Amino acid sequence: MIPLEWMPALMFAGLVVFLIIGFPVAFSLASVGLFFGMISMAQGFFTIDFMQAIPGRIFGSILANDLLLAIPFFTLMGAILEKCGLAEDMLESMGQLFGPMKGGLGYSVIIVGFILGAITGTVAAQVIAMALITMPVMMRYNYNIRYATGVLAASGTITQLVPPSLVLVVLADQLGRSVGDMYLGAWGPSLLQIALFALYTWFITIIRPQDLPPVPRTLTGRPLLIKCMWGIIPAGVLIFLVLGTIMLGLATPTEAGALGTVGAIILAVLRNTQMTKMDKTAYAAGLVAVAGCLVAAYTVGMKTVPFRISFSVFFASVIWLCWRAWQDKPLHDLIVEGMRATMRITSMVAFIVVGATCFSIVFAGVDGNLWVEHGLTSLPGGVWGFLIAVNLLVFFLAFFLDFFEIAFIIVPMLAPVAQKVLEPVVGADAALIWFGVMLCVNMQTSFMHPPFGFALFYLRSVIPKSISSADIYWGALPWVGLQLIMVAIVIFMPITVTFFLDKPHGIDPSTIRIESAPPVEEDDMPPPSFGPPR
Amino acid sequence: MGAKGAFLESRPLNPMKWFPFAEASGSLHPIVIESRHPSGAKVQIGGTRFMAPLLAFSRFVDWINQNIGKVCDWLVLLAVLVSSVNAMMRYGFDISSNAWLELQWYMYAAIVMLGASYTLKRNEHVRVDILYMMLSRRGQIQLDIAGIIVFLLPACILIGWLSWPFFYQSFHMNEWSSNAGGLLRWPVKFLIPLGFGLLTLQGISELIKRVAALRGYDIPDLEAHYERPVQ
Repeated sequence: MIPLEWMPALMFAGLVVFLIIGFPVAFSLASVGLFFGMISMAQGFFTIDFMQAIPGRIFGSILANDLLLAIPFFTLMGAILEKCGLAEDMLESMGQLFGPMKGGLGYSVIIVGFILGAITGTVAAQVIAMALITMPVMMRYNYNIRYATGVLAASGTITQLVPPSLVLVVLADQLGRSVGDMYLGAWGPSLLQIALFALYTWFITIIRPQDLPPVPRTLTGRPLLIKCMWGIIPAGVLIFLVLGTIMLGLATPTEAGALGTVGAIILAVLRNTQMTKMDKTAYAAGLVAVAGCLVAAYTVGMKTVPFRISFSVFFASVIWLCWRAWQDKPLHDLIVEGMRATMRITSMVAFIVVGATCFSIVFAGVDGNLWVEHGLTSLPGGVWGFLIAVNLLVFFLAFFLDFFEIAFIIVPMLAPVAQKVLEPVVGADAALIWFGVMLCVNMQTSFMHPPFGFALFYLRSVIPKSISSADIYWGALPWVGLQLIMVAIVIFMPITVTFFLDKPHGIDPSTIRIESAPPVEEDDMPPPSFGPPR
Repeated sequence: MGAKGAFLESRPLNPMKWFPFAEASGSLHPIVIESRHPSGAKVQIGGTRFMAPLLAFSRFVDWINQNIGKVCDWLVLLAVLVSSVNAMMRYGFDISSNAWLELQWYMYAAIVMLGASYTLKRNEHVRVDILYMMLSRRGQIQLDIAGIIVFLLPACILIGWLSWPFFYQSFHMNEWSSNAGGLLRWPVKFLIPLGFGLLTLQGISELIKRVAALRGYDIPDLEAHYERPVQ
């Protein structure tokens, strides 16, 4: 007979063993849950009825989950944007703009990394695109190789932290907070993070100016201005489509992802295809119609004839441009390839949640949550002890676990404790936001530290063989240090997260809150709670 | 007359066209890739008689799941369209219906539950690959065989079995969404037992392919190479 008190520890040990073997995480997780569920039933801790909750939970909190539905949308959007040359244009214009300063290319990479992160961003796409363009220039002007690889990897990774990152959406789902609040909380740390990066760059230019030499401009005056506009404006429009609509409460994060995908398709048409006269007319009509919509919405209101007419024109223009994307062979292939990859990634990610659900139901059944809570609250040092321990845990787990695995396995265990422990510091509402953003900052490091950092792999795959892997690894270290400093800042200065939260921000967060985590036993799913924000 | 005859002749009955899975995509003749006999002599274990029907079954399962996977690919794009058109309609014309909202996650549910088996075929379910990457190709295949038997098949069969009453209850009462204008609810609940059923089949297919590969068969369909998914 195994006493109930031993079960959580045994389960946790089983989890570690089963995962490390290397069989796909989703199935290992599910079977560790079911295996211990069987043992528990044999021991009489619970009956088969308890296990019957599993399909209900799979249905209610994974399949009928409006937030996880955002995964395919953001993934597809990233896949399309990756290939449409937006990163190239922005880097070239920023490089021209900042080039003549010492360390100018470094600054431009940091800024572009941030802006791209604010559109969508998969780390892979960002690192690869930026390295392909910037690395040759940096090498030609004798930039320090370690600095160059480090800044590229770190600026690519920041996309994880900058809204509307998928990481924040998933964390919001797992922590049961609203995505909008999560985004507001992440702005502070992400801005500070790039400030830290820029500061470090500036510091290098002071102590070793020969490492980051200035690069002369090839464009000046009007051509430079046009180049900058061509880089910035499409990005601005997309940022509005995705982030603006969420922040203004116009769309749910899921719909914003879908709108962003449509925006990415249109952007790809505008940049990559030969536009016919009809296309240009449609495009111009669309732009005029958007202006018309805005004017009408502010003067006569949204439910009026002028607004609807201009909206119809805009709608028609969007449909036409999307249709043109479909007709264009390379673009068509790009979209099809994108949706294939998206299908597999979506299924893969959601199945981790399926496995994690099996695990966590049984884990809760053997009072595992109490066990975790007891273990973490008995740590010395109170709140700070708890936070430092948790962050160290996540930092080391990130050496061999992916972000999604941490979010779905570890975060649900920690969340109830974190709520209880952090509440006195920042208040009940902000506690989990603070916690989530902190973990998000922390998990950036998992992309950066040797030998498994993914940003480094991507970098390796696109830069010349003459640069040694050792240079890449050493180059990444200071930036991991900067990321850890950021974790410390977020831990000891919660204001960096709560600053934007406390301020009245014009919208009622409840309009964009999406409650996930429906009741377990209920057969019927709760109504999709993202009705039209009123 | 001759022309008509030629026309008929030019289209011989080709069962392979209708049953592409029956087409031998891999060599059925055992090829010894590795010696396992202590003496070092190349040995060949088993013959085609036993493996051939199993491999045909495996190709059949692969074919089914591949096609279901293709449908799921398109569902991604459809879901994007439905979601974005729905959002635009709501703000432009104040038209909204729960049916469209529900259709989005119905499609997402189908992508997740039905796409998983194709993802398994492509070997794209994420692993903790620290130890896995150190293994030889042969070791990886052996690990997968053990994993499929110990982890995947029991888990999928058990969850599928648990989810059947969950679906059947809904089906029996012909359940509709509780939202006004919502959709019929049981088809999406059916996706759970269906998905786990397909996953079980695909697991068996992967098992067959890996056992065959260990026995020296050349299995071109086997995606033994694993790469972490891009993020």
